[in-house]
Amino acid sequence: MAKKGKKEVPAMSTSSLPDIVFMLLFFFMAATTMRDNDPQVVVNVPHAHEITELDKSITTNVWVGQLQSRSAEGAALSIQFNDDIIRVDQMGDYIADRLVEKGYESATSMLVNLRVHETATVGKVTELKQELRRAEAYSISYAAKPY
Amino acid sequence: MAKMKKKAGEINSSSMADIAFLLLIFFLVTTTMDVDMGMRRTLPPLAEDEEQQPEDIKLKERNVLIVNVSKSGKIMVGDQIYDRGDLVRNGGESKLSKETFNFLVDPDRSEKKKTLIESNIEYDLSVGVVSLKADNETTFDVYMQVQDELTHAFNQYRSYVSEKVYGKTFDELDADQQNNLRTKLPPKISEAEPNDQTNK
Repeated sequence: MAKKGKKEVPAMSTSSLPDIVFMLLFFFMAATTMRDNDPQVVVNVPHAHEITELDKSITTNVWVGQLQSRSAEGAALSIQFNDDIIRVDQMGDYIADRLVEKGYESATSMLVNLRVHETATVGKVTELKQELRRAEAYSISYAAKPY
Repeated sequence: MAKMKKKAGEINSSSMADIAFLLLIFFLVTTTMDVDMGMRRTLPPLAEDEEQQPEDIKLKERNVLIVNVSKSGKIMVGDQIYDRGDLVRNGGESKLSKETFNFLVDPDRSEKKKTLIESNIEYDLSVGVVSLKADNETTFDVYMQVQDELTHAFNQYRSYVSEKVYGKTFDELDADQQNNLRTKLPPKISEAEPNDQTNK
């Protein structure tokens, strides 16, 4: 009986390969987010301990640093909002546009993430914060990286 | 040759893997794994007029810890002067965060007010506020370090309260209790307005 039952080794089934690959695919789709706007200013955010993860879906990024094209010592600080370099006093208009674009009721439901270069001055940040208060975007965060 | 008998023809799915691989590679390339980390703050609404501030916003002097940061990175807390070395954590705590924590806990410093934490649990929470002022020329990394240590002190205080109230550290609490304590005990750090500062 044993001899009769002897079979040829069947080709290895690869039918589960797509399943495995799909699993990997879904993992990456879920675990990652689309690369956001490329910063045009040089920003190296400071380190901090007490930081939390930010909800990307409500976050609007604002960069503060020197322009990449002329990042010399002592060059003036520039502000980048999404893909545009803006002046401080344009902040309110940009926030308003962003609200329409995102379909928010009011600026309070959005989080403005300030990515400030570590050698930027506090004065510039304060100016920016005043503008944000004027635009009623009260919810902010200071971007930092963990130690 | 019964063995050769085929089942109803299957669709050849060997190319499915290739398609999935293509998609996989596309996502690998276009996405980034890093998450945005940051320190959240809520800005106060612009006051129409300083005089119009409601009475209860005006705090008693003893309940305010004034922290001034100079442009050279010296930090004045109350009447003591710290330098940047005092912001470095030594055994988990920095001098600045210890001082702030003491300010919140010490019954002789900030006032304590009975607050309902959960139904029928009350605790005397500090009403202490930290007022942070920085020179316009201060660099942002020093400012952030100070903010970090102040936030740390408030987090330590939250953990302290949690141990008093629930007998557990803050991290051991369940999500509801954590959220509850977070709303009851937010880090009260007031960032000065520019007109409070010199030369502005």
